[in-house]
Amino acid sequence: MTLDRYTCLETVRRLDDYLDRELSEPERHEVERHLETCDRCLQRFRFEAAVVDDLRMKLRRVTVPGELEARVRQLLRRGGPDEPVA
Amino acid sequence: MPTPPPVDETPHTPPHERVSDAEFETLLMESLEPAYRLALRLSGNSEDAQDLVQEAALRASRFRHTFQKGTSFKSWFYRIIVNQFYTSTRRRKNTTTTSLDSLSDATDIFLFARSAEAGLIASDADPAANVVSRMAEDDVARALAALPEEFRAVATLYFIDDLSYQEIAEILGVPIGTVRSRLHRGRHMLQKQLWKVAEELGIVRPPALAGER
Repeated sequence: MTLDRYTCLETVRRLDDYLDRELSEPERHEVERHLETCDRCLQRFRFEAAVVDDLRMKLRRVTVPGELEARVRQLLRRGGPDEPVA
Repeated sequence: MPTPPPVDETPHTPPHERVSDAEFETLLMESLEPAYRLALRLSGNSEDAQDLVQEAALRASRFRHTFQKGTSFKSWFYRIIVNQFYTSTRRRKNTTTTSLDSLSDATDIFLFARSAEAGLIASDADPAANVVSRMAEDDVARALAALPEEFRAVATLYFIDDLSYQEIAEILGVPIGTVRSRLHRGRHMLQKQLWKVAEELGIVRPPALAGER
């Protein structure tokens, strides 16, 4: 049988979970089977994957202010732990 | 599995191995960069992010006995930061976020559909050449900061770290199904907001100028 079990709609509905590797193995297999034969959906998936990669790259790039570490260390010296009642 | 800190001021201490003061300080300082990244993306600006990290560090220090040695310190600290973020936004009742209604009608593959309508996607297009790739980091962060808090929290944890839905659920203290639905909706909202920012920046043309509907 070479018929796709998933329609385009069913495939796109699983796009996020597929990209996040949260699909079950049979579902992932069916999505990939659909993508092998549907250029339109493949293009959508590649686009979404590129968007997620770009967002990850840009949102992860931060520079920690130099003074923050010193301030936190100072806070730790001042405020000790609240010990639970034994 | 991270042990969540208590939500109230009453310490509840299950029997587990605790970290020493020196170990705690080392773990905290090692987590400072991811902690600041989370705080910056949640709050949207460096000043608030630094306050958030300091408040969370103080709280973590006070409740250090609830951290279970051998579990993920970063996840434990993330949870304190997110809770502190919710507390501080509630306190300030900052209304700079975009209303849920204006974002919640974003459909699946919003950015792809709009990009295709605007003629930005050729059939053989390089998938990396999307609208987001042409935006600066601050502009992307501005779009994220416009999401309603509960959607922003899930999306931020998702984008700034390699966490599974299960790990995000544990950090936020919500069921995994809630993470999945908020993340899916949050991603669609973010795409809509990114498009709006791209229009403001002139990266794409607004519908009226582009002659679209």
